[in-house]
Amino acid sequence: MKSFKFLVIALFCVITSCTIDKTDYQAETGSEVPDYYEFKEAVSFTSGTYKISIEALNGTFFKGYNELHLKITNTQTNQDVSSSEVTFLPILSSTDGNKTSCPHDYNLQYDAANKYFVGYAVFTSESAAANSWKLYVGFTADNQKYDISKDILVEKQSNKNLNMTAFTGKDDQQYVIALVSPQKPTVSENKLTAGIYKYNTPTAPAGTFPDPSQYSYSEVSGYTLKLDPRMPEPSMGNHSSPNNQDLTQQNDGLYHGVVNYTMTGNWTLNLIMMNQNGLIIKGTVVPTDFTPGVEGVKSELYIDTLF
Amino acid sequence: MKYIIILLFLGMSVTAQNTHAHHDSIKNLEEVQVKNAAKKKIETEMKMAVSVDEFLSSSDNISFIKRGAYAWEPLLNNMSSERSTLTIDGMHIFGACTDKMDPVTSYVESNNLSTIDIKSGQQGSLHGATVAGSIDLKRKSTPFGLEKKWNGAYQSGFEFNNKQFFNLGNVAYSGEKFVAEGSISYRKADDYYDGNNNEVKHSQYKKFNTSLGFAYKTTDLSSVRVDAIFDMAKDVGYPALPMDLSLSRALITSASYKQLFEEGVVKVVDTKVYFNAIEHYMDDTTRPENLVHMDMPGWSTTYGLVSKANLKKNRYSSEIQLNAYDNLSIAEMRMYPQDRSKRTMFAYSWPWVTTRYGGLSMNNSWDLSEKSQINLGGSLGVNYNYSKYVEFNWIFHPGAPQEKTRFLPSLHAGYNLDIDHFNFSVGTGYGHRAPSVSEGYGYYIYNSFDRYDYIGNPDLKNEISYEGNASAGFKNEKLSIQGKINYFYIENYIIGRVLSMGSPMNYQSVGVKGYTSLDYATLLNMSMNVSYDILPHLHWKGVLTYARGMDDQGGNLPFIRPLSYQTSLHFMHKNFGIQTSVNGDFQQINYSPEYGEDLTSAYTIWNISADYNFKINKVRTVVQVGAENLLNEYYSTYADWGNIPRMGRNIFTSLKFNF
Repeated sequence: MKSFKFLVIALFCVITSCTIDKTDYQAETGSEVPDYYEFKEAVSFTSGTYKISIEALNGTFFKGYNELHLKITNTQTNQDVSSSEVTFLPILSSTDGNKTSCPHDYNLQYDAANKYFVGYAVFTSESAAANSWKLYVGFTADNQKYDISKDILVEKQSNKNLNMTAFTGKDDQQYVIALVSPQKPTVSENKLTAGIYKYNTPTAPAGTFPDPSQYSYSEVSGYTLKLDPRMPEPSMGNHSSPNNQDLTQQNDGLYHGVVNYTMTGNWTLNLIMMNQNGLIIKGTVVPTDFTPGVEGVKSELYIDTLF
Repeated sequence: MKYIIILLFLGMSVTAQNTHAHHDSIKNLEEVQVKNAAKKKIETEMKMAVSVDEFLSSSDNISFIKRGAYAWEPLLNNMSSERSTLTIDGMHIFGACTDKMDPVTSYVESNNLSTIDIKSGQQGSLHGATVAGSIDLKRKSTPFGLEKKWNGAYQSGFEFNNKQFFNLGNVAYSGEKFVAEGSISYRKADDYYDGNNNEVKHSQYKKFNTSLGFAYKTTDLSSVRVDAIFDMAKDVGYPALPMDLSLSRALITSASYKQLFEEGVVKVVDTKVYFNAIEHYMDDTTRPENLVHMDMPGWSTTYGLVSKANLKKNRYSSEIQLNAYDNLSIAEMRMYPQDRSKRTMFAYSWPWVTTRYGGLSMNNSWDLSEKSQINLGGSLGVNYNYSKYVEFNWIFHPGAPQEKTRFLPSLHAGYNLDIDHFNFSVGTGYGHRAPSVSEGYGYYIYNSFDRYDYIGNPDLKNEISYEGNASAGFKNEKLSIQGKINYFYIENYIIGRVLSMGSPMNYQSVGVKGYTSLDYATLLNMSMNVSYDILPHLHWKGVLTYARGMDDQGGNLPFIRPLSYQTSLHFMHKNFGIQTSVNGDFQQINYSPEYGEDLTSAYTIWNISADYNFKINKVRTVVQVGAENLLNEYYSTYADWGNIPRMGRNIFTSLKFNF
């Protein structure tokens, strides 16, 4: 009987020794991808009796696409202003005196259901010592026009699934493509949303600063973004996925398609942007061969994601 | 934690059951056998110290896919392992490796088995839904009240080719009311050498196996029994695969209650609950040629119940079996980027797939006369699958259901006739099987044979088999001839087909294949066995087998054994025995390039061995010396994964004591 007991003890030691733990899959994707689902006040400023509050996801302006909610409140009556025409203009000033903007909604629309003005801004760079962002907001209340401005801080986009790219197309126009969603992709078919914006080259000389005509951007319409997602890591050998759908414009002005991620990790969305006539504005076809050990070739036009 | 509780329980049962061992027995519990199965010892004619794989390969209708020297995948009737049910004493166990590196047979050892029960086709449906048949590994079970209370055996040996050294030991105590048995074994082998004396790298292995069993007779006609097997393999090389095994462990436990009845139709009811857990950790860090490192751990946990009743009345006898189990299969893939500090890439190759099966099976036989017998049987099972992370399955099959329930009916009938020295049998069968976890829910499972990544399809239809079989034989004192034939027509035959839309993921892969159903496939198996006693102590035996498998386009199915033969001579004189055998395959003409096969040439292997029996102080001792592949032929068979060469000349020695 003693030998049995020894055997049991020996077995006990063997069995309780360490093994590889199972992956906590829910935690796995959550750990790397911050998601912003709450609108919080990112900046507020007052002009006379009016307080302007701009809300962004997580209360932060990030590089890339930002949906913005703007509220104007009369601090004396505590009433929201809803009937005004509200203009919105972000300006990036560099130390050499150069002033540029980024894709944005100049005339904000009022959302009566939620009681705020809706707009967006695609900040093309982070705030830095040499680059500072300033918001110029104009509105009318009590038949008086208010123009106010405030410095803001644009932070690094820590969610790698909301990256953007800015480029000059073959038509010599300046474009910006920014990912809008999904914020938190999963291994599955993900609805992919992106905005495509174009800088409208001013036709008239600049008026008094800030002259919105000098900083005008618009959503391009009728374009197509051809999509070829691939894993660029050499170890993944240019791996891709099936059932992806090219992005086309929907009623909201944004471009919608489907990206199918087969596993977590680094992905590159290889894009080809075509105009209404099917002409390629930017982007190249990438090799489809499986090339293990070789870093995947990216299109001329691409956006990286990571989850 | 679960393991610990079970072990504690086992530990307690050791001390608890030991106290009541008094003598009052009338009946020998194990003697009552309603149906007597032909018991085989776990040894082949050539070799007495065989591994489970080597023993299985001595059966006519078993062939093997070999990925190295260890853990061969048994093919029954030339069909891959998901088409047969593989059980240990009726317990369902599922390997935890997506690449089938751990068939169930790799978790047992020859010294804890008494026999292996192979049933072809639907006759094997007793253990659950099947197409090819069933392989049931029967554990050793010592009867109560043996005259000799203590029995034991110790076996050791050395094989020169791969420096395999093994030690196998088992003891059993048989009391009137209490039986205890245990076994322990350890095998260690280095790389083997092929027929050109080249080392086949990554073919080493280490395997440790131990088992314990206790039985207690509760009344004259009833007993309880608890059993456990623990198996651990470490540092196992798979030369045909791009990765090895760093560790695999299995804990296989069961508790059963057996009740005999002296009167009435029901003779025995044997009910068992079981639990088994398997862990399997692949390792590719041992392969410097791999630029990519990938972790692929797998887990498989099964709970189950098997309850069996034997009925007998006059000329009618019947077996009824209830099978129920719940299995959870998990396999992960984690790939590392070149820059290790960066984020790894992760996917499930088995996305937490639950399989639940419940089924009732029945085998009935009527003796119409002394000479003829009719067998009728069938089963009805319900198979339920659930994929927890179904999003992985949706990548290739958008909108596929997360849960799926299937009904798996089966029927079989047979007729046996014995006339003088002749015997004949005919039979037919019909049965469904559900797709396996890999076929239904697998995700980028790399198959290094055809170098494709395989994707499962949750919407696959049941595979439906229609079979017919026949045999004829003649036997007299000196000569015995037996011919067997079976034919399967399998509807919705599941096999991988190239998916144009997929892009490979695994490093060595060339493309993606999805499991799809062919309209049908057909399989024909034939075998001929002849034995002749030339002299009272000189016996000759010959076996010839042939198989042919075709898909619905008339193309060849993969892994179908070409025409093969085996012939052996066995001579005994007093305590001395010598045997020699020649076996081989003809050229594999009907190979399938579509599934990565190429033409495999014919080969012939010559083996020889001699043994001597003697007694040292009542201890029966056998020594054996022999050589496999005596002529050191360089060869690989049709089912050798990646055409890896088989072992060259191997001189083996073994020594066995029975006390």
